[in-house]
Amino acid sequence: MADYTKYTKQEMQAYAIAKNIKENQIVIVGTGLPLIGASLAKAVVCPSCHPIVESGLMDCDPVEVPRSVGDNRFMAHCAVQWPNIRFIGFEANEWIHDEDRLIAFIGGAEIDPYGNVNSTCIYGDGDYVKPKTRFTGSGGANGIATYCNTIIMMQHQKRRFTEKIDYITSCGWMDGPGGREKVGLPGNRGPQMVVTDLGIMKFDEETKRMYLAYYYPFSSPEMVKENTGFDIDVSRAELFEGPSPEIIRIIREEIDPGQAFIKVPKE
Amino acid sequence: MNKVYSLHDAVAKFVENGDCICFGGFTTNRKPYAAVAEILRQGQTDFTVWAGPAGGDWDMMIGEGRVKAYINCYTANSGYTNVARRFRAAIEAGKLTYEDYSQDVLMLQLHAASLGLPFLPVRLMQGSGLMKYWGISEEQRKTMDKVDNLKAVEIENPFCPGQKVVAVPVPKLDTAIIHVQKASPDGTCIIEGDEFHDVDIAVAARKVIVTCDELVSDEFIRRDPTLTRIFGECVSAVVHAPYGAWPSQCYNYYDNDPNALREYDKASKYLDAEDAKAQLAKAAAKAEKAAAKDPENAKLAEAAQKAVAAAKAAEEGTSIPMTFKDYLDKWVYSVKDHGELLDKIGGKRLMSLRNAPHLGYSNTHLK
Repeated sequence: MADYTKYTKQEMQAYAIAKNIKENQIVIVGTGLPLIGASLAKAVVCPSCHPIVESGLMDCDPVEVPRSVGDNRFMAHCAVQWPNIRFIGFEANEWIHDEDRLIAFIGGAEIDPYGNVNSTCIYGDGDYVKPKTRFTGSGGANGIATYCNTIIMMQHQKRRFTEKIDYITSCGWMDGPGGREKVGLPGNRGPQMVVTDLGIMKFDEETKRMYLAYYYPFSSPEMVKENTGFDIDVSRAELFEGPSPEIIRIIREEIDPGQAFIKVPKE
Repeated sequence: MNKVYSLHDAVAKFVENGDCICFGGFTTNRKPYAAVAEILRQGQTDFTVWAGPAGGDWDMMIGEGRVKAYINCYTANSGYTNVARRFRAAIEAGKLTYEDYSQDVLMLQLHAASLGLPFLPVRLMQGSGLMKYWGISEEQRKTMDKVDNLKAVEIENPFCPGQKVVAVPVPKLDTAIIHVQKASPDGTCIIEGDEFHDVDIAVAARKVIVTCDELVSDEFIRRDPTLTRIFGECVSAVVHAPYGAWPSQCYNYYDNDPNALREYDKASKYLDAEDAKAQLAKAAAKAEKAAAKDPENAKLAEAAQKAVAAAKAAEEGTSIPMTFKDYLDKWVYSVKDHGELLDKIGGKRLMSLRNAPHLGYSNTHLK
């Protein structure tokens, strides 16, 4: 008998994602953990949600885990195959119509206390033109962070959670209250939370600074403080309960049996 | 009019040095790899590139030094390589002239080009590094005839005083290359599944090469005009190239080839044998340093031993890992045309990639 009582940090993250998707929400997912989380939501936690991907595939319900947002695994199991430009138009019109149905998952290499995210490059001794480490670039993230509320997925490390990031690929709350409006961004959209392998951060309504909202059964507020490169308020933190064995069984046996994104530890 | 060409002749006639060029497809889906390989074989170079959501297609061209200016929004065989490796290495070495837009902006720019718009206003990229930093400076841009003089300009919306919007230039494409499921000799195309930006660039470019999995008659292709996506008069050349998107996917036809994409992921880590030696030596030194710092740690000691052995084997030439150059020799330069490539991949392997109609992808391709 497989043991589903123990779970990995990644499985905890996927579960945290699924729990944060609400009824009837339209969920913008990429591949990797957000997709596992959204699949879990669709399967059990919140079946009324509608996953969409930035390539333009709408209301996806893949049978096998896709490896990219343009994968045939999405394309063959969705409601509509739009070109990417329609996705962009849809996302902008949701904001123009003042709808509040979209929630988007984005990832990044660096994040600052206001939820601004870098997925372009780390300068090191260089600069934007000749950086130490180069990443893919924005992809759909910049547009998503412009028009949608986001949940940011990160690995919780000191060097990734830093007071000042080298390059803002996707805008968060900029420099605090009113920061988005100042640069021409919709002020009523922005990052809602950051889900990491150590906990769930939210943004203070007054200051727009990140604070710890939840820690996991295997983490603690102290661990989060230690692994965050800026001063973070942990005084409001509560425990986020871990997933049930049944949830873990569904992730391992039904959603990602090939372990494309979630590696199961050997017993 | 019959526009059917051999792959060789189409690329020789319609792809020229210095072209401003765009490929269709999306990272690992319907990428025109057969045509990319032919360009690599023929040697055209100095491209100004509107890359779109790129994968191994542009990574290979960058690795082979064919790119003069690279306009990027995302480059990776996603799911197989986190960041395309030759793209990354070229940028980190300061050897690639490039610009970043967000994917949304770049795709809208390509669409604007298809609509014939003079420029494009967007409410995107505001407040981000995409506005703040220019990969190609204004001075540099003015010396490059295929690159617009400005990356982006913040302007006021004339219809909404006080509202800041971003004006971006519209691509002026010389050449577009797309791979489709079906085309007919007069250039009419059927694209099955998501069209991505392919229709946009086919309308926008002066020269358009279409490679297709199936070449069908002009009568057949218009039996159901709800399926046709590209007007034949937009197309310069039609090339019959079955599996022409390999190793990427082609909806309703075949899946990606995970073995090839994994092979490329590993090989593209090293430019060539010299680079492999240098990188392995560097990795060995790093592993030894880590092991020396923590002498009690058996895992680190073992890792260091392995790394040193690998570096030594590479240096002595007894075992050099496959490199980017090796991959290209194997899959591009050692074959004279696309037909030879198909023979080299092999019938069994190609058949295993075929789409299972009840799923929409292959369920045999991992075996």
